[in-house]
Amino acid sequence: MIIPVRCFTCGKVVADKYDQFKREIRQGEDPATVLDNLGLNRYCCRRMLLAHIDIIDSFMAFATIPQTEGT
Amino acid sequence: MEITIIRKQENIIHFLAEGLDVAFANALRRTMLTRLPAMAIDEVLVLENTSVMYDEMLAHRMGLIPLVTDLESYNLPEECDCEGKGCSLCQCTLTLEKQAGDEEEMVYSRDLSSQDPKIVPALGEIPLVKLAPKQRLIFEAYARLGKGVENAKFQPVSTVSYKYVPIIEVNKDKCNQCGDCVKVCPKNILLVEGDTIATQNTLDCSLCEACVEVCEPGAITIDSKKNSFLFKVESTGALTPEVIVEKSAEIFKERIRLALDYANSI
Repeated sequence: MIIPVRCFTCGKVVADKYDQFKREIRQGEDPATVLDNLGLNRYCCRRMLLAHIDIIDSFMAFATIPQTEGT
Repeated sequence: MEITIIRKQENIIHFLAEGLDVAFANALRRTMLTRLPAMAIDEVLVLENTSVMYDEMLAHRMGLIPLVTDLESYNLPEECDCEGKGCSLCQCTLTLEKQAGDEEEMVYSRDLSSQDPKIVPALGEIPLVKLAPKQRLIFEAYARLGKGVENAKFQPVSTVSYKYVPIIEVNKDKCNQCGDCVKVCPKNILLVEGDTIATQNTLDCSLCEACVEVCEPGAITIDSKKNSFLFKVESTGALTPEVIVEKSAEIFKERIRLALDYANSI
């Protein structure tokens, strides 16, 4: 749905690095060097970002706007 | 026991501990993982959540945020005078209120406002949920101290590891300078120097022994130093790595004392 807060295996926080990772990948950087620069050295943490697909945007297409009181 | 700090970064510490055996080193490692208390959100009261994420999932994400822990001013709930009911000495309230405007908006961990200015998310950039236009999120979260034995979210460390101190020896008489070991070494420790093989950054050696296998004349031997360990402690941000090592050593000592008292009383 959205990037997991921590690495499933080792517990390192990975969520805060996802925005930068996505941005740099879009600019055509090599994922390996981006991950190295972010300090994700273990393959358990690297796969968290590499293998993630954000689907929250697809869910949000079906979001209902909350009703305000009195309507 | 002697400790030499090799490398220290903001959240990671590498140190060399000498004069201890495997059992002791592992006990210290496990104390850091499971016995050292740290703050984490344990209960979430969702007042309003119109986002696409379920309350449970949101609460789970909240629990995983590392919080800067102040071990001095908070008690473990089971040791607190309130008997674990939750008072200001063992609990901290964090609130979050956010409504998206006409654009979609991301809720980050820095949006949490804490009752205690010392107990704040260690990392402010953790995305919690994305709100579609006009969606609203209001909740109250209660953080408390806990230990890693209970739930991994209370662990102040992400990884603690130790390895043996490598000793790499090259027998000059047997070596034929083929350079195969240099190519095969994944950590680039070996290099050709003159008529023999030299070593560099030996502490990085992972003791994989690939060089020993590839060396036909059998010139390389890899051994490990007795009673010495290279530790690597990686903090989540809840506590500084130094405090983690110090505190867990204290806790470990106390636990040994308890075990000895018990053994002596039988």
